[in-house]
Amino acid sequence: MAFIKKTAQPRATSEDQRAVARDFDGLIRQLDHADPTARRWAARDLAGHPDASAALLARLLREDEVSVREVILTALMRIADPVAIAGLVTCLRSEDANLRNEAIEAMKSLPVAVAPIMRGLLVDSDPDVRIFAINILESLRHPDVEAWLIEVIEREPLVNVCGTAVDLLSEVGSPASHDAIQRLKARFASEPYIQFAAALALKRIAPVPDGRQ
Amino acid sequence: MTAAAISQDDFLKFQEYFYRKTGIRFEDTKRYFVDKRLMERIGHSGSGSFREYFSKLRFEADGTELQALVNLMTVNETYFFREDYQFHCLVNSILPEIVARKKDESPIRIWALPSSSGEEAYTIAMCLIERWPGINTHDVEIISSDIDTNILTQARAGLYSSRSTMHVPESYLRKYFKKTAAGFQIDDTLRSAVEFTRVNLQDPADVKPYRNFDVIFCRNLLIYFDDVSRKQAAETFYDALRPGGFILLGHSESMSRISSLFRVRKFEDAIVYQRPGAGT
Repeated sequence: MAFIKKTAQPRATSEDQRAVARDFDGLIRQLDHADPTARRWAARDLAGHPDASAALLARLLREDEVSVREVILTALMRIADPVAIAGLVTCLRSEDANLRNEAIEAMKSLPVAVAPIMRGLLVDSDPDVRIFAINILESLRHPDVEAWLIEVIEREPLVNVCGTAVDLLSEVGSPASHDAIQRLKARFASEPYIQFAAALALKRIAPVPDGRQ
Repeated sequence: MTAAAISQDDFLKFQEYFYRKTGIRFEDTKRYFVDKRLMERIGHSGSGSFREYFSKLRFEADGTELQALVNLMTVNETYFFREDYQFHCLVNSILPEIVARKKDESPIRIWALPSSSGEEAYTIAMCLIERWPGINTHDVEIISSDIDTNILTQARAGLYSSRSTMHVPESYLRKYFKKTAAGFQIDDTLRSAVEFTRVNLQDPADVKPYRNFDVIFCRNLLIYFDDVSRKQAAETFYDALRPGGFILLGHSESMSRISSLFRVRKFEDAIVYQRPGAGT
């Protein structure tokens, strides 16, 4: 026994599923293949097709295999067109907690695509979606994150949503948040959690220039 | 060309293009690094401006200029026995587990990338010969890949500096290297043990043939990728591995932060990641 060195290209697997057509229509059909490996490869290849978002989303909603779901989500993240983003927003409204979390994680990585719809998500009629939108902001690399959070704590009526926003401001807030957090404290004077979270946020952000606290 | 030839807009355009092609995103802090290399290629290609060069780069049919640029932009520094505890883990824990569940005579397949100048792949070969008795009873294939064709040529040549070999045990150095005026020449036993191939991890067509591996070493590469590219790479590795296969990342990298596809395995020498399946 010894080292073996192939002189040809590395071997493809014998059950290679790529004998079928790899054009757009063929890949869409492969998304429904019985073998998860074939579905993963189809989703991966469809990441290179800008028109594939709708089909990927449709598959995502009925896909049980975790590894295929993950590849579909990555393909949607790579395409990141308005159809893909709208589909991820739809996932935020799902009863399936896994799907919601997957959509949140995916949207966290798409600052450019998500930014134009963020204000809309933060005033969505469903308070859960508003909280999920703040969850997305947790690690969204975008310069407006703090400004969006300030808007939330200035006008959001529900204490849970405000609590989530001020928690995040304690991590990402700057002196620009100071006055808005003070007003939040005053607005929810009888809510112990807001009092606690707002005080913590104020402590963590740098003091305002004139020394007010 | 003057230093002012690459504007911020040019840089952004290049940044986006290079990212799409390779998964590597250069932030603004790398402007000097990127500009210097771009200027070099603009001059070399005879282009009069960034715009002219960029057009050539994008529309060139055979991709030669893109490859030359990739070769310049990628970082290739490594050395033998880097993060040695992982090689101990390979021979003490991973390979015995693979052998124990193996049901056929097919070779054990190891993929190491990025190969850089070959130090990691040759270290694996040395460790198997010196530390793993199983090499006497099992065939092993080691394939090592990189996006940079120049560095692959260097890897195949197997000539190293004293800096690169500073962690090689003295007895291995005597056994597997020959000191020459140009440096330490690795011997033919090791050179014939490794196949070096060019692969772009972000190109599905490139990675499709890479299947049925038992172990993947991918250390200190994913740190250069953005989130989406890291996830894509993890998914590529998932399908490149046999069920139950293992992947080893660099000490500062965590697969758990990238993807949920793999399970964490804590061995005595190292923490590694495993594709579920095959009774694992």
